[in-house]
Amino acid sequence: MPTKKVVKGSAGGIECVINNGEEVLKLIDDILGRDASKLVSRLGKVMICKGIFKEAYIISDTLTEVIKVIFSKGYIPYSAGLYIGRIRRSKPYFIPSINLLQLIYDELGLRRAIVVSDEGLKPFLYGNDILRKSIIRCYEPLKKNDVVGIVGTDGYVYGIGLCTIESCNDLRRLRDLDLVAKNVFDVGWYLRGGTETRERMFKI
Amino acid sequence: MVKYELLRDLEEYLKAKVKASIDNNVKDIARRFGYLDYMIARYLNMFGSIDEVLDLLNSFEKPLNPVIRCNKLKVRDCSYLVRRLKALDYDMRSIMWEESSYIITKLGKVSLGATHEFLLGLYYLYRGSASLVPPLTLNPRSEDVVLDMAAAPGGKTSHMAQLMNNEGVIIAVEVNRIRVRALRSNLERLGVKNTIILRMNAVNIPKLFSEYFTKVLLDAPCSGEGLIQIDRSRKTKTTLNDLLEFRRAQIALLNAAINTAISGGHILYTTCSIAPEEDELVIAEAITRRDDVKVVKMPEIDGLNFNEGLTEYYGIELPNEVRLCGRLYPSKHGMEGFFLCLLRKL
Repeated sequence: MPTKKVVKGSAGGIECVINNGEEVLKLIDDILGRDASKLVSRLGKVMICKGIFKEAYIISDTLTEVIKVIFSKGYIPYSAGLYIGRIRRSKPYFIPSINLLQLIYDELGLRRAIVVSDEGLKPFLYGNDILRKSIIRCYEPLKKNDVVGIVGTDGYVYGIGLCTIESCNDLRRLRDLDLVAKNVFDVGWYLRGGTETRERMFKI
Repeated sequence: MVKYELLRDLEEYLKAKVKASIDNNVKDIARRFGYLDYMIARYLNMFGSIDEVLDLLNSFEKPLNPVIRCNKLKVRDCSYLVRRLKALDYDMRSIMWEESSYIITKLGKVSLGATHEFLLGLYYLYRGSASLVPPLTLNPRSEDVVLDMAAAPGGKTSHMAQLMNNEGVIIAVEVNRIRVRALRSNLERLGVKNTIILRMNAVNIPKLFSEYFTKVLLDAPCSGEGLIQIDRSRKTKTTLNDLLEFRRAQIALLNAAINTAISGGHILYTTCSIAPEEDELVIAEAITRRDDVKVVKMPEIDGLNFNEGLTEYYGIELPNEVRLCGRLYPSKHGMEGFFLCLLRKL
């Protein structure tokens, strides 16, 4: 049985909990595989902060000790460690961060991903969706209305989409201008509105 | 000459002395270069030579080349980044004293803040190279517990994370709601994972962490009097009263910085200002009013020769150890005007 050691802190209507991350690891397991959740579990503890959004971070043991001090004084961090994604009550239940996907793809290989041409990346980085004609390669598993990593030909993760197809096979029946992934988050956000709340529509 | 510690009312003393030093020569130069009179009067007092003042003013007229720091948290081999940027028609040359940074000598097709490489966090973009100096001076290692007291937008925080190999701890503090979002956005983009962001007034940090940090960076909010190359409005934006107000806030922050450091810990005080009011006169206040801190020699950074801190200003004799602080001038160092002072908690 996993240990149930929980450390909590709250301030300004936001509650943060540090634990061994069962909730988020299960979600990672569901969408990215058991090997991915195992990889993440080895990185450290998980801090989940719940306010308007419910966000998860991986924190090292050293960070954990410092955050305990912060909690004990009635404060909470604005963010900490490696932001790994947002947990939701409805689909998509988990929106992984770019950094989490990149880590998993680098260590374990591509999955739940589409590789997009340079021509397709440009409009995507302006907040647009991914069309069939932009897709160069596709990696299972895919699921309609669930997340998919948007990867460039250079191997970097450029964003997260919401899939409109059930599997890579569905690409065969689509026409060039058919929608394949709705834009949830793209790295162009760092240019467009780095100071605005991202993934605005995907609250808890 | 009057010793700093014997001055009863530094602010009134300075206001009177600066006002008295504004003559027709000062007014002529101020008009010619578009500055407030009192700024030129102070420069003449600081440098003592009109030629040096004119060198400074002329150097403030020259635009700075942008600088990028290859983000080693995401890029193993910086030559890969250089190749990608050259393919976009950029050209650059290495900075001798910062192995992962480059001065952009030719701009490419896409704006430096909009390339895919920027968005992916492969580099951090600076307006000039001076901001690279504080992390190198404080030189945090992976075993350090670091406080960055005015952290947004995160250039120095992420540079320190790089020097620490993304290990250890940095607490990055920012009070402003908009700027703290930019800080988080930049740290995420750059893949920083050893940092905790706290949104609070850094003056209150000792309430959470008393004698806790091995290294503290206070890049204090300031008038920006060293950034005239980048922002011409700073020639006329700040009055002497404003400067003295900045100084009061800077002293409060520096005291908080010292209170949060462990015995033997280091505190680096920096500003992007060449105004002694925000620089040596802040350090002098801390070291004359406290007995638990002293100025230490700045570490050598190959190819970068700091000017010494001023020990005399308008007839005020500052503690001699202030000489150990470092000054950077656009006229001498080819970068923004900057002040650095390394302190050690006793």
